[in-house]
Amino acid sequence: MLRSGPWVILFLATRGLRQYAFSTAVASLAIALAGGLFLGTWKIKEEAKNAFSRSSGGYDAVLGARGSKLQLVLNGLFHLEASPGNLSWEQYELIRDTPGVSEAYPIAVGDNYHGFRLVGTLAEMFEKHEWREDRKYIVQSGGRLFTDNAKEALVGDFVARKLGLKVGDNFHPYHGLTFKEEAKHKDLYVVVGILEATGTPGDKVIWIPIKGIQLMDGHNPETATDVSAVLLNLKGAAGFMLDMKYNKQGNVATLAWPVAGTLASFFERFVWFQRVLEIIAYLVAFVAACVILAILRNAMNERRREIAILRSLGARRATVTSVVLAQAGLITLLGIVGAAFAYLGIGFLAASVVREQTGVLLEPFTYDPSFLYVPIGMLAVGLLSGLLPALQAYRSDVAKNLVQQS
Amino acid sequence: MLDKIMPFLEVSHLRKSFVSPDGGKSLVVDVENFSLSEGDLFGMRGESGSGKTTFLHLLAGILRPDEGSVILDGTEVSKLNEAARDHLRASAIGYVFQSFNLLQGFTCLENIMLAMSFAGKVNETRAKELLDRVGLSHRLAHYPRQLSIGQQQRVALARALANRPKLVLADEPTGNLDPGNAHKALALLRELCCDAGSALLLVSHDENVIGGFDENLDWSNLNRAFAEAMND
Repeated sequence: MLRSGPWVILFLATRGLRQYAFSTAVASLAIALAGGLFLGTWKIKEEAKNAFSRSSGGYDAVLGARGSKLQLVLNGLFHLEASPGNLSWEQYELIRDTPGVSEAYPIAVGDNYHGFRLVGTLAEMFEKHEWREDRKYIVQSGGRLFTDNAKEALVGDFVARKLGLKVGDNFHPYHGLTFKEEAKHKDLYVVVGILEATGTPGDKVIWIPIKGIQLMDGHNPETATDVSAVLLNLKGAAGFMLDMKYNKQGNVATLAWPVAGTLASFFERFVWFQRVLEIIAYLVAFVAACVILAILRNAMNERRREIAILRSLGARRATVTSVVLAQAGLITLLGIVGAAFAYLGIGFLAASVVREQTGVLLEPFTYDPSFLYVPIGMLAVGLLSGLLPALQAYRSDVAKNLVQQS
Repeated sequence: MLDKIMPFLEVSHLRKSFVSPDGGKSLVVDVENFSLSEGDLFGMRGESGSGKTTFLHLLAGILRPDEGSVILDGTEVSKLNEAARDHLRASAIGYVFQSFNLLQGFTCLENIMLAMSFAGKVNETRAKELLDRVGLSHRLAHYPRQLSIGQQQRVALARALANRPKLVLADEPTGNLDPGNAHKALALLRELCCDAGSALLLVSHDENVIGGFDENLDWSNLNRAFAEAMND
């Protein structure tokens, strides 16, 4: 109920907004949209960078056929795009035995099952490799790793859930990286294990022994020992040395190293898109500020008499001015709450699309300073747009607006 | 003028002019002396446009005089800063308008409690008692538009008395009422002022209204500006 002091300001402000409920809702919606877009463009961009870095599977470098480093990283670690070519088994062995190379796992691609990529590798990778610091692959209970010479498959968590695969199921792989009904191989694979989720693109893969890809029915026997890429972990200055050897002096293979640097160049491609979204967000914010200004100005024109009455009852100039500013603040606060919901929606949508498309797990709701700065900025803009109407309230002529002179 | 020993409202050499449309200055109020004592009920008759409202605004501190002084209960209103005048108006002056000036977005009870809030003494029980006193205890949650004209004026009377003011200024309080309601409203206003010990200064163009006051005055005799304008 009504009390003295600042409560009166809040009471008058909320009542005023209730009188202009529709306009208030429109302004709040515009603010929510602007705030959601701001947070969305900023935080999702940052989180995407971080998530892709986190999701590189714990590798420092990828060695592949001569070509684009980005293509190597996308194909070798994110299981996207096609392989730029093959390396011979000897090249794999050569780099595996190079001093400074702590881990080297060959992969071979070229087949799929219902659109999910089959990646051939060595079972050793699942035993030894840490896909994140202190995190090794775990096979869900009831399963096991495949045997390198058997037609067995280890299925990523995402694929298992999407296709309903379970241990003991059989399937025929399909040739190529996209699913075509007519490209079915004769080989029959059995699922021997389901991997625990890692939140990396590895979840979207069906892992089979590398020999399985190499010797798949219908594949070229002449390339039966080739590999698509080698995933590497390096020690000391091996990165510089191998970069010199493969990229600067050699012309047979390409070393994508460091992975983070290659990914950064990938994200630079999307800077223009981020800029466009930022401009849209600024425009929406500008429109929202104008809407607040228009609402409060119109309200002021209709409320001159009400302000005069309040003043005649003893309300101070500061009180009626504060009421208008409080209204601007309240509209903005409503907008900020809306922006939080808008961002929740954007975050969930972005995370689910990215997960679906790449297997990368975005975490859009982890704390970011923008969660603090954006609402503060919004509040500042909202209050700023309330300044002019507040000034009108401050200058309102009580005697003139109260009654006609008699 | 009143011949009282202890005037608690004293007006001296009060002048107020406005800029007229032709750019010149137009003197609206020119009162040499005027005073009221505590609890006085005083009527003042004046023509429309003769500066009565301006005079009341000067007494209430809504306007500042060009010259002269208004002393209310020992405080020189015209020398107070605006915030102090606002506070004085909230706590010591009740105002009744011809057009009631109720806040349309607020209930009857809220209208009264808002007036209390500016004086820093919100008292819901008293607000309800006041509405009961003016016969509107069954209309607490009604908005002004849901009331008859007469009921609206009664809410306005209750609001004017909300903070137990020392002075009630009533500007044509019966101007919008039919004779029956006007009579009731006047009686009620006098009763309320007597109960609260408030002095009342009522201005009206209506002889019948002013005639009901033992102490009354013709505004044209008090305001030299209006008298001169009439002579011109």
